[in-house]
Amino acid sequence: MELAYYPGCSLHASSELYDIQCKLVFENLGIQLKEITDWNCCGATAAAKTDDFLAIALPARNLGIADATGLPELMIPCSSCYSRTLVSQKRLSCDPQLKDAINEELGHKVEGKIKVSNILEVLAPKVASGEIAKKAQKKLEGLKPACYYGCLLTRFPCDVDVKDDVENPQGMEIVCKAIGAEPIDWSYKTDCCGASASVNDAEQSQLLMSRIMKDAAARGANCFVSTCPLCQFNLDAYQDQVGEKYGIEKRLPVYFITELIGLSMGFDPIRMQVDRHFIDAMGLLKELKLI
Amino acid sequence: MSTKTLKYETSKAKSLLDEVTERSGQNLRACYQCRRCAAGCPVGDETGVTPDRLVRMVVLGDREEALNNLLVWKCVACYTCGTRCPNNIQTARITETLKQMSKAAHLEPLTPRIADFHSSFMKATEHLGRFNEMEGMGIYEAKTAIKELKKGGLKAVIDEMKNQAKLGMTMMKMKRMHLKLDKVKNRAEVQALYRKANERKGA
Repeated sequence: MELAYYPGCSLHASSELYDIQCKLVFENLGIQLKEITDWNCCGATAAAKTDDFLAIALPARNLGIADATGLPELMIPCSSCYSRTLVSQKRLSCDPQLKDAINEELGHKVEGKIKVSNILEVLAPKVASGEIAKKAQKKLEGLKPACYYGCLLTRFPCDVDVKDDVENPQGMEIVCKAIGAEPIDWSYKTDCCGASASVNDAEQSQLLMSRIMKDAAARGANCFVSTCPLCQFNLDAYQDQVGEKYGIEKRLPVYFITELIGLSMGFDPIRMQVDRHFIDAMGLLKELKLI
Repeated sequence: MSTKTLKYETSKAKSLLDEVTERSGQNLRACYQCRRCAAGCPVGDETGVTPDRLVRMVVLGDREEALNNLLVWKCVACYTCGTRCPNNIQTARITETLKQMSKAAHLEPLTPRIADFHSSFMKATEHLGRFNEMEGMGIYEAKTAIKELKKGGLKAVIDEMKNQAKLGMTMMKMKRMHLKLDKVKNRAEVQALYRKANERKGA
């Protein structure tokens, strides 16, 4: 099975490890990720904040390229890219004038036919069919992740059909359970971590992150798991700083969901680049005798 | 919460309300001030203005306050307000709209760093079609440093550089820093979209 794949800028830069892991894990599940050609940045939060036209037009160019592949589905692992692309597709489906104005500039016109999916939507049927559990030769016993969804997997600035529970999503938990981990129940899974403000409004971002860290620690999590490279980077790179500022002692490694699935499949952690985290992510796995 | 009394002038109110409604695509008239948005707003405590309050400013025609408050700038676009609104008003679209209106009116941003970050991001993306962390951060740091130096804030500049250097070093160590620039081949197409965006703003 082939899926069109949009990695987005993060997966080609600071979160390259996520790109590598996605390719490994999905290949093992029999899914070939076909990276769409010559894609551009989705515009992320910056475009949404500054330019209504570009916020729709930038992802639209990628949608046109994805439509031209003839593949039925486009997987976007980054929550921000996923949200912006889905919103663009939705908006263009109800604004033909805007669609025409954008298509005038594009070599590959947006048709709007490709299904835009996040990584959990692609994984869900593989959990339901038992494939993920079957491939999990190693059960991740003792791993107690706080599944962190952040904002953009379940909340959109327009009406879209959300596949998971908006306030208490479960998509990540069902994957974790299928590979033998024991996700904890907690209150901050969809609260904003402030990733988009980490550089330009650090105080605000740190405050938001401190609440997430406190609750995860109080509920007995021994790690975070995320599907978004922006949330992952924020929780990972700034955890020390926030912990010191707010007097939180516990440091929790922040895994990508693909890292955990890959581990259960028996992939070498170094090949998956688990050693590239800011908060050591190898130690806990050794402690739990998972590697 | 803001303690300022809001004034109401019929003609001003209608024109502002119509403008924001049209640009944001949100039916602000449907707001009955239940404040579910306020309860969920992660930055409300710090901004002193919650989404319900913002809607009220627009409804009452207080243009100055609506375009000049911290929520417009500090909103983290988490979309909690809109998701919980019983009347399906996407308040985050309203803050985005007011921010763009504030820029169009050439008002000085209340939080220049946030404004500079977003414009640096858009500039870097226009240049190569993809956002390169090194390039975007470079433009942003230069912009903020120049502003700080103009104010005589040498210490702030040095602190910022130290912080960024520390993060940069760790990123290098963890091999998470990417020095090679990632580009779109057909940049002309991306730049045509930028041109169209500017034409539409002018129209």
